[in-house]
Amino acid sequence: MIERWALVSGLKGDLDTYELIQKDLKKTPGNITLFVLGDMIGPEKNCNRLLHRLINPKSNDLQPWCIYGWWEEQILLESGYRGDQRAEALRINKGEEVVKSLTNAVDKSFLDWIAALQFGFVELDCGLIHGSSKDVGENLTLDTPPLTLLDRLTRLQVNRLFTARSKQQFHLELTEGIVNSEVEDLNGNRKKEQKVPQKAVIGIGAGKNYTLYDVGTDNTQFVQAGYKTEKRIKGFGRL
Amino acid sequence: MNQAVISCLHANLPAVEAVLKDIELQGITNITCLGDLVGYGPQPNEVIELIRDKEIPTCQGCWDEDVVDGLDACDCSYPSQLAEKRGHFAHQWTTDKLTTENKYYLANLPYSIRKDKCLFVHGSPNSQHEYLLPDMDAFAALERVENARAEILFCGHTHQPYIRELADGSIAVKIKNAVPKDTQEKEIQLPMRRIVNAGSVGEPRHGGTKATYVVYNDVTNEVKIREVEYDIELTCKAIIDAGLPPIFAWRLKNGFEFAEQAEDASHVCER
Repeated sequence: MIERWALVSGLKGDLDTYELIQKDLKKTPGNITLFVLGDMIGPEKNCNRLLHRLINPKSNDLQPWCIYGWWEEQILLESGYRGDQRAEALRINKGEEVVKSLTNAVDKSFLDWIAALQFGFVELDCGLIHGSSKDVGENLTLDTPPLTLLDRLTRLQVNRLFTARSKQQFHLELTEGIVNSEVEDLNGNRKKEQKVPQKAVIGIGAGKNYTLYDVGTDNTQFVQAGYKTEKRIKGFGRL
Repeated sequence: MNQAVISCLHANLPAVEAVLKDIELQGITNITCLGDLVGYGPQPNEVIELIRDKEIPTCQGCWDEDVVDGLDACDCSYPSQLAEKRGHFAHQWTTDKLTTENKYYLANLPYSIRKDKCLFVHGSPNSQHEYLLPDMDAFAALERVENARAEILFCGHTHQPYIRELADGSIAVKIKNAVPKDTQEKEIQLPMRRIVNAGSVGEPRHGGTKATYVVYNDVTNEVKIREVEYDIELTCKAIIDAGLPPIFAWRLKNGFEFAEQAEDASHVCER
């Protein structure tokens, strides 16, 4: 059976979208593993129902495998889970009101669960993270210099890096790389040509926009939750 | 014009004096120091005061940071628990010895110094604790220089002097599954960049006993590694007299400092 990963992020408390994705995935052929790459919470709406559902899936739900994202990091900072640090970057950029909205959006009983989430997963030769291997808040996009992308792949020692922070959906392959290195030290000179094998960085999207990854063929499919169903109802057929 | 770059002095006053003398004999007045003025060695205040007196621009090293802010590196920096214990002892000894004024000086050193196309740091542009080893992944090494917007990156921390040139690089990229549905391909040429490690004045780890530093000519772009002999016996005696672990003296005398290097020196401490 085809093995597929469903990669979701940026739900920010939106249980309706999560249910729509679950509904989609039940119709998707193959053996699906669901990864939620952070930002399950956000300041816009109450996140408790979604968090409860993620922790206690319904009997017919796909089991979600979650990591923490940038918004989870902010609430952990603000709630004292990172020592003396607080969510100062959020406070400066978005203001005190947003900090308050965030802490009000998540019941304190969920904080231990959030704090126990991992920074990322390494599955096969793939890294699944929210931002980058350098920082949970780093945006990787099509415009990120390839040298930086390669470094973020190298740090995790993976060939595929799935990232969510930018909210964008893209599949960028680094098909070939070469650099010549010459080192002079007290033992003399040595030259080396270094090449990199094919690697890729994949932006998985956010909210209703999620990604299906076919593990066997290395193909990605960018999906909008509920899109096909809505189009069929309106009679425009499948796009 | 020639300029000298020194690093990792480690409170070894005879070594620092010998290197500064060697620099003076070459008529070089432009000196930059990459930090770690203290740690392991027996004369931290004297070394700091010498650098301050000569008004040598200096970056903050990991030891300079740690004696002010407390230890923040994990035991990954050491090859064994015994070595870690010795390091912690030296840390406490140094903290106790330093004058308040000299601690203030160390606390206010910059993380980096930029001069035109050159960037001077202790470890890497990312962290004072990151080791840029001579044979580390070439793309990762290039990324450190390029993302720091420098052409030449001067660093220390490894105690191994080297000059590394990264050239003729390229990366080909292909956008798959793009919206609209087209495939874009392009090849990006990578710039030529250099990493220059100044080695260590006060605690060499190149397998020998001589202090090292580098001389850079900003007109010809030539870099030379200099080795300087100094009165090791004097430093060893001061280590013993100060009550520091005798192995610190033995290592200096026998050129066995490299034994103190962590097995995975490329590991970046996250603590």
